Amino acid sequence: MIMTLIYRAIVVFVLLLVVRCMFREKEFWKQATGALVLIPLILRALMIK
Amino acid sequence: MSWDINFRGNRVTALLLILLAGTVAFLGARQFMTMWKPDVVIPAPGFEKHMLSEWFEGIKDTPADTPVFIQSGEASGGTVLLMGGTHPNEPSSALTAVLFLERAQVKTGRLIVIPFANAMAFTHNSPQEASPQRISFPLPDGSSREFRYGSRATNPIYQWPAPDVYIHPQSGQELAGSEKSNLNRAHPGTPDGALTQRLAYALRQLIIQEKIDLAFDLHEASPEYPVVNAAVAHERSMELTAMVAMELEDMGIPMRIEPSPKNLRGLTHREWGDYTETLPVLMETGNPSQGRLRGRTNEDLVITGRDKSYAKASKLGLLFIPYEEDQPLDYRIGRHTQAVLTFLEMLGFMDENKEVVVEGVPGMEELTEKGFGAYLSPLGS
Repeated sequence: MIMTLIYRAIVVFVLLLVVRCMFREKEFWKQATGALVLIPLILRALMIK
Repeated sequence: MSWDINFRGNRVTALLLILLAGTVAFLGARQFMTMWKPDVVIPAPGFEKHMLSEWFEGIKDTPADTPVFIQSGEASGGTVLLMGGTHPNEPSSALTAVLFLERAQVKTGRLIVIPFANAMAFTHNSPQEASPQRISFPLPDGSSREFRYGSRATNPIYQWPAPDVYIHPQSGQELAGSEKSNLNRAHPGTPDGALTQRLAYALRQLIIQEKIDLAFDLHEASPEYPVVNAAVAHERSMELTAMVAMELEDMGIPMRIEPSPKNLRGLTHREWGDYTETLPVLMETGNPSQGRLRGRTNEDLVITGRDKSYAKASKLGLLFIPYEEDQPLDYRIGRHTQAVLTFLEMLGFMDENKEVVVEGVPGMEELTEKGFGAYLSPLGS
């Protein structure tokens, strides 16, 4: 249980880092790459997939 | 075509892309979550519904808990457990159990049916397998029934993390870490382990407390796997299995007999035999939709087993089942069903005190002729 909470916290942390990178990025396609990375992170943080 | 279009990104595009990602995640989540809903089954009159946690409290209120259906005949006799759904990506397993659940009329002895043994593995698909989420069957009244096509392993949202190496507690056998989520490597189970191990322990408690004489664990395997169209039997089950194999041979249903290896641990045919008094039998049919040679993996492949690569492999003599263009699910369910019915007959032949007489379940011929859907009850009936 504690392991799962730590894991989810790490996932949320990485997710926020990606969001931060997307706002700082000047190239659209790199922002789009970040958006693709977000999808599995969202699903994992919510423990849906 | 050139991809050197340099759009400038800014905070607005970032925000729009995040919203797009959120929308895709939302739509995907809705799809994935449809698999969390249990399949509907309509038990035949006489079945009582229980939950497995009644035999072991350690899985109560957890996703490992699963329905157990019991029907007793008027005359006393033996007790038989029919377990399907150890691996939900092997559909003839759960569906044979569903067939017995919806059709069986027990006249002598007791029949216990667990259609969805690892309920936690029905709630997702295996990554990178491109499996369909569910399969459906037409019924004679024009309606249809759906069942989930799940994964081999417990859903990681319920059991995580997988260790680097899975050490089977009783034997010390070392397996790949992912096998910790495989119910058929978890037997005889432990009362305080991970959910899959506790589920295996609950099943052992059921077998012991209900004094089950004969226990089936139904499976499917890739057509290129040697143990297919086969019954794997513990030493104590071997005589009965040999009698059944001879009977099936007479019916034109060849059944390979495999002795349960003593050094392959965690499987029902080994551990139920060693840790309980039951006679365990694991049976396999050939399922092209889980094989490595398959092409497009969709509902049609699951239902028909028709695949051009398997047809080619068969001509090259690379398969362990007779394969002539297809391997329909009706036939695979028919094999399991006919074998279980023959086991019941032979069990009473070996020891009349352990006789279990079940009527109302169609045999191989009827299933291949009319199809599995013809024997399902319509929803709302």
